[in-house]
Amino acid sequence: MQAKSLLLAGGTLLAATSGALASGFQIGLSGQKNIGMGGTGTGLFLDQAAQFYNPGAFAFVQGSGIQGGVNMAIPRISFRAQGGNAGQETLQNKNVFPFNGYAGFGKDNKYKFGIGAYTPFGSELHYGSGWSGRYSLTDINLRSVFVQATASVAITPQIAIGAGIVALAYGDVDLQRDIPLQSQAGGTFHAQLTGKADHKLGYNAGIMFKPSDKFSLGLSYRSAIDAHISGGDITLTNRPASVAGSFTATSFDATLPLPDVYSVGIGVQPTDKLLLAFDANLVGWSRYQNLDFTYNGGVLGGQATSSSKRQYQDALAFRLGAQYKVTDHFTLRAGTFYDFACVKDGFITPETPDADRIGVTAGFTYAVGEHFGIDGSFLFEDFMQRSQNQNQLLDNGTTDRIAGTYKTTISVPGIGVYVKF
Amino acid sequence: MTFSSLTATTLRPALALLGLGLGLASCQADIDAPAASAGPLDFTSYVAVGNSLTSGYSDGGLYNEAQAASYPAILAQQFGATGKGPASFVQPAFSDAKKDGSGYIKLQVVNGALAPVQPSAANQFLGEQVAFTGATLAASGQPQLEAYTGAQPDNLGVPGVSVLSSVSALTGGLAPFGVINPFYERLLTAAEKPTKDYVTYIGQKTPTFFTCWMGSNDVLTYATAGGVVSPLNPFGGLTDTTSFGTGYRAILTTITKNGTVKGAVANIPNVAGVPYFTTVTVAAVAAAFKAANAASPGVFIQTSNATTPVRLATSADLLTLTAQAVVATGAGSTPTNPLPNQYVLDATELAAVQARTTQLNAIITKTALRFKVPVVDMNAYFTTVSNQGITTNAVNNSVAFVTGNIFSLDGIHFTPHGYAIIANEWIRVINNYYGSTIPSADPNNYRAVLFP
Repeated sequence: MQAKSLLLAGGTLLAATSGALASGFQIGLSGQKNIGMGGTGTGLFLDQAAQFYNPGAFAFVQGSGIQGGVNMAIPRISFRAQGGNAGQETLQNKNVFPFNGYAGFGKDNKYKFGIGAYTPFGSELHYGSGWSGRYSLTDINLRSVFVQATASVAITPQIAIGAGIVALAYGDVDLQRDIPLQSQAGGTFHAQLTGKADHKLGYNAGIMFKPSDKFSLGLSYRSAIDAHISGGDITLTNRPASVAGSFTATSFDATLPLPDVYSVGIGVQPTDKLLLAFDANLVGWSRYQNLDFTYNGGVLGGQATSSSKRQYQDALAFRLGAQYKVTDHFTLRAGTFYDFACVKDGFITPETPDADRIGVTAGFTYAVGEHFGIDGSFLFEDFMQRSQNQNQLLDNGTTDRIAGTYKTTISVPGIGVYVKF
Repeated sequence: MTFSSLTATTLRPALALLGLGLGLASCQADIDAPAASAGPLDFTSYVAVGNSLTSGYSDGGLYNEAQAASYPAILAQQFGATGKGPASFVQPAFSDAKKDGSGYIKLQVVNGALAPVQPSAANQFLGEQVAFTGATLAASGQPQLEAYTGAQPDNLGVPGVSVLSSVSALTGGLAPFGVINPFYERLLTAAEKPTKDYVTYIGQKTPTFFTCWMGSNDVLTYATAGGVVSPLNPFGGLTDTTSFGTGYRAILTTITKNGTVKGAVANIPNVAGVPYFTTVTVAAVAAAFKAANAASPGVFIQTSNATTPVRLATSADLLTLTAQAVVATGAGSTPTNPLPNQYVLDATELAAVQARTTQLNAIITKTALRFKVPVVDMNAYFTTVSNQGITTNAVNNSVAFVTGNIFSLDGIHFTPHGYAIIANEWIRVINNYYGSTIPSADPNNYRAVLFP
């Protein structure tokens, strides 16, 4: 007998985000002060996180120091399938904890060296047991940690450049879905794919132009990295014994392209107390056209590969931020952003329920003394409600996902500490 | 400045923001439910008229689990979402202790390979709790089933009933269906069995909405028997168009109460598209013969043609699913041992079946128009599904046997999953015609073939 449909038939898998705080599965929580200002930073030199936002600005950061921050992303995702009686389905809303940490040393306005670690991509989503899209995806947990070593030089008092070597130091993925093949013995036939990403290198680079104390302009670029998993494990549960011969694969390879990012930003300081920032980002998601899996055995009646269409498109984001120094010890921040979806209509998958989204942010810094302080931040992101119907899926050849309506909001409180010397 | 004074003054807005944020965080966004309206329809008394496909027959039998997932039962449930659904939808279930009714085919591993296994006395009915009384119906020799004693059913589907057998006047009052068919016999009282025909039976109901899917057995019984008419079944041939037209009109007149009740009808699918005729192919059998004997010229079949009763099969001839067992014994391998006629729907018979299907569907369309009810074009629908399959929430379904999810192990009737897909096509057509917005069902919540 022919093997029946599917493990990952046209499989969805890999990729995602509940932490999807920016288009696709970007997280974008790489510096607590920046978060409070709507995610701006390309045209600023607030603190050691400049290594991430614009290594060119790093040389202008005042003081050497060490800082670290952690955020709690609290997603609330609702889904309503196009058909069926399931009504509104909500996820087991699992909080995730993106973090960032940097150390920077050198001579102010001359040169700086630094190292950093952060989590620019990731996601964790757990759909409810038996949800309408269970044959597409039930669970995803995608984690990544990047580390970076950075050097920045001020060529003149007005211009600084910098670059970093970026490494995908750790990445892992856990993807699960049900398989639509039922056993006389009962139980839900379920597949789990887990794997660790290979270490990969990339880079970032930037330039900062600071013609006066009132104005700064920054440009930065972050390279793309292909996250590759080889020899990931496939675990099947409740497989009917009689179909074992059709499900012989035990491991898989897959590649998840991570986008490059172009950023431009300006900073304006009308008074000593007030700083305004504007950023625009162009995220090269169009690299992500298909999600392809290769298996070491049959999953599709002998087929050892699967391909699922993604066809992401490049996505823009615009950010606005402000910082007001209330006292020498206390600084308040606020910001907003609008982030365009990278997933087209008819291509939305349960692992990345992407949509245009608007965000508001707030933050503060309390400087305990000259050398130590606390950064608090808060971000709230509201995704536009987004629907796709079965006809769109048919037209696009994307029936490996589910038709319906998604609505997401995410709240992210965060806290950081810094030491400056 | 001290920390305490700072908390009291400047930190307050920050804390307020944080509080607001946490408030937002706990708030789950709601997506408005799509409208579910009955429009001009009233489903408080929904009645389903039809044959085995309506009864929920599956895996070669009628049994409670499959009956519970009949498409009328699924429709009744979806109608309920409009707020104008039936309070209850009664189906003629078997008693709990005999829940497996006439028994059903199971997929089992036989000699190391998956095979559908028919329940029988010899295999203790596969452990199923069958409802046979031990008696047989004298007129047909079929085993009698436990009588149904519950409330009058709303699902009036009777396996085996055709338009011809529904109206006793069409056969001159001879061969009353109630003494021939065990699925109908069990629904009738002793007095009714020899007298009450199906059209009278359905006339007992007073529906506010009906569905009617009749006519398949007017061609299917002949087709599945390989064009061989059993002498025990007076309704085993292709029904003539005149009788069909008369009978179909009588059925719609009765169930619509002379055109006053709204509803929908479905037409006859192309029988050649079901796995019963597409799973065992001439090419595959010929290849098997060739593998056993390199000199094998092909598959010899017995046909109804008087001049060439035995010939080599071509790809235009269809073999039945049941042919598999006899092919395994060597039938068809030589001209002296041809595949018997009842396992072959030869090209001539197939053409006759398809031509008659087209004629009968024209009658259905015309009659439906007269009674102002929409036609669910199952013939066209299954042609489309045969060609391109259908996806239900990321599950691919096709008309393939066992693996396609839609058809059950008898190769003709649907799985519960398939019945839900069918129900959605009914809903689509009803919504289009009446302007209602009945929500569709999720077929993935209904099982397909179960694997050992």
